[in-house]
Amino acid sequence: MDHIELSLTQSLDHCIKCNICTSACPVAAVTDAFPGPKYVGPQAQRFRHAAQPVPDESVDYCSGCRVCNQVCPTGVRIAELNARARAQIVAERGMPLRNRIIARSDLVGRLSSGPHAPLVNMTLHFAPARWLIERVMGIHRRAPLPKASTYTFRRWFKRRHPATNGKRPQVVYFHGCSTNYYEPRVGQAAVAVLEHLGFEVIVPPQRCCGLPLLSNGDFPAAQKRHEYNVAHLLPYARAGIPIVGTSTSCTLTLKEEAPELLGLHGDDVRAVAVGTYDIFEFLRDLYMQGRLRTDFRPVERTFPYHPPCQLRAHRIGRPVLDVLELVPGLRLQESRAECCGIAGTYGIKREKYQIAMDVGQPLFDFVRTSGQDTALCDSETCRWQISAATGVTTRHPIEVLAEAYGLLS
Amino acid sequence: MYDTIVIGAGLSGMLAAIGRAERGERVLVLAKGYGATHWSTGCIDLLADSADPFQRIAQLARQYPHHPYALAGPTAIESGISRLRAICEAANYPLAGNLNRNLLLPTALGALRPTAFAPVTMIAGDARQLRDGRPTLIASFAELRDFFPPLIAANLRAQGIAATAAQLTLPPTSRQRDFSPVTLARLCEQPAFRASLGEQLAKLVQQGGYARIGLPAILGLKHATEVVRELQNRAGALIFEIPTLPVSVPGMRLYQILEEELIRLGGRIQLGSFVQRGEHIGDTLIAVHSEAAAREQRHTARRWVLATGGVLGGGVRATPEGHLRETALDLPLQVPAGRAGWFAPRFLAEEGHPVFQSGVRVDERLRPLDAAGRVVYDNVMVVGGALAGFDPIREGSLEGTAIATAWMAGMS
Repeated sequence: MDHIELSLTQSLDHCIKCNICTSACPVAAVTDAFPGPKYVGPQAQRFRHAAQPVPDESVDYCSGCRVCNQVCPTGVRIAELNARARAQIVAERGMPLRNRIIARSDLVGRLSSGPHAPLVNMTLHFAPARWLIERVMGIHRRAPLPKASTYTFRRWFKRRHPATNGKRPQVVYFHGCSTNYYEPRVGQAAVAVLEHLGFEVIVPPQRCCGLPLLSNGDFPAAQKRHEYNVAHLLPYARAGIPIVGTSTSCTLTLKEEAPELLGLHGDDVRAVAVGTYDIFEFLRDLYMQGRLRTDFRPVERTFPYHPPCQLRAHRIGRPVLDVLELVPGLRLQESRAECCGIAGTYGIKREKYQIAMDVGQPLFDFVRTSGQDTALCDSETCRWQISAATGVTTRHPIEVLAEAYGLLS
Repeated sequence: MYDTIVIGAGLSGMLAAIGRAERGERVLVLAKGYGATHWSTGCIDLLADSADPFQRIAQLARQYPHHPYALAGPTAIESGISRLRAICEAANYPLAGNLNRNLLLPTALGALRPTAFAPVTMIAGDARQLRDGRPTLIASFAELRDFFPPLIAANLRAQGIAATAAQLTLPPTSRQRDFSPVTLARLCEQPAFRASLGEQLAKLVQQGGYARIGLPAILGLKHATEVVRELQNRAGALIFEIPTLPVSVPGMRLYQILEEELIRLGGRIQLGSFVQRGEHIGDTLIAVHSEAAAREQRHTARRWVLATGGVLGGGVRATPEGHLRETALDLPLQVPAGRAGWFAPRFLAEEGHPVFQSGVRVDERLRPLDAAGRVVYDNVMVVGGALAGFDPIREGSLEGTAIATAWMAGMS
């Protein structure tokens, strides 16, 4: 029994059946398809055994948002129990083609981005094509799909002329699939900020962090990607060079999700996990050490800000608020909605689209009633969901910080 | 970055945080998860064994100078309760009652439970009114587990209350499975659901001439006062809520009101963050470390409030080796001598089990003390269930002691 197995089994016995998780679960609040974290987690887990048939399939309706973990008064690791239970179902029965495709965001991104991106985007926003995709693939015709970029972040990074004097402290940037294939501007903003703060930015070879595979239950494929990333990030982690990411779900996966769910606890995996930071976590640390430049231009703006589930799962508070409140004039209104509903690939699935929209309703209302034309969120799929549902442009907070430093024209 | 960090998000933690934020401080509440508010009735228990709890508290304080009530003193008790009531009043969820007279409110078993203050949604259930001879109806949906009107009514009749039971039909809803108190509370926020429930109640009142109706405490999450008022108007009878088994909807309402107030005052709340240990220089606590992904998060503040609860709330844990530990800062605990001394020989012993009096011993300023009586940390105050030397559940003083000590920490 590995470490997580042991801690899961033990945490199972910490469940006092108080139902706080079920009352807080945003999915159970809107659908009967998911009876709630307590039932599919600590309760069903007692009947799960490697040699026994799967007792309960409704665990597949867990979106993995981890609100249950966050509110549990006794520390039961419900979301991890659920992720492992789903992987057991997938291991037994295989994975539908749709999930195999959407879980490979690296492959999908590589095929979509590039000079032909406008064609891809047109097709994916062409109603009859979406209808066909829904019928054939099970991806909901109104699900928010990102627009592919005509160039990748990596290509931009390679071709630019970096401002280095050779003596700068180094930092590794983990861009993730979304920045590379869909939103290079997020990576460009991150690089601009890090260089402005005096760092030399390194972008080593990297693959998808594996989170979409983990949340769709394909653990072996996720493990391959994680091992690749660990191998390429390890030299930097060992040298004490911080690994910083703008996709809060990628950084969470490197820190905790992959090691814990896959039961990888070697020194190398651990070193990369400990060396990884969400970008605003990193910036907040710099500020606390007195190393953050505060030469901000005033930004007379108000933005609704949604701290996504994946960020909350880091358990590091609200680094975006801590850093952006240093910018004169800037005001952030924090959303207290539990979840936007999308949960990575969850909300684009035909059978789960409506659930995701219902889960996100309080957030959509919050963003709409803010009256602002731009919202902020640290997670890409959440940004796409919020934008699609509300029509309000949703940006990564690092873009606003770069603007405050006067780095974006 | 913070002036005060409060550890624990139960009633005492939230109220202490509100007090500090009202004084203009930057405040953070760090907590493992939701606190015991979500398990409790949403009422304010001061002391159970007396018709006049406030007078009995004064006696108790003289008798036991280390009791939290003795440390807080009557002013903190009164002003803490009045602040909490003002916050609830402003949220249109008034707490009614009196320091000098306990209400007697029915439980989900039909027992009569003394409490000093209750939300207005429960107040018509006071036994003094129920005993006026006019008929009372206890009703619920069969779909709600663990709430049985016939049992409640029978037990109330045995105590001289003219109660009968009825089963309600669930108004049409898209939900078909698993009706927890929270599911029903959300449904009660929907006008159509409420209207249908109101019609059923009106019909029952016409048939049985009931003066009051007791319903499970599911009458809305955010607008309970309006929901109850509307149902009373439709039914033509007074309505009172009876607390259910956890999750407790009135407990959630109270938490949400406190959370909104703290955020309004500029405070922050960070859940899912289990404080593991403290860092100190001499008798000054300078930082705590909370559990987080991959590595701990370090938090600094000038002043700290420990509001993690006792054995019930999870602030005091027993190890498999038979020791008791204070979970956040590893403070010295006042505990029964030896594992054998934890429990009384009888499960339902009148005097309770000594282990539940375990907690942190403090000085007159609520600062933690070690076994020799020396102050451990000069800038830490301990409040609520984490305190030693009282048994809040047995005494019926859980909320009262939490509020009194929290307000003392909030105002000092």
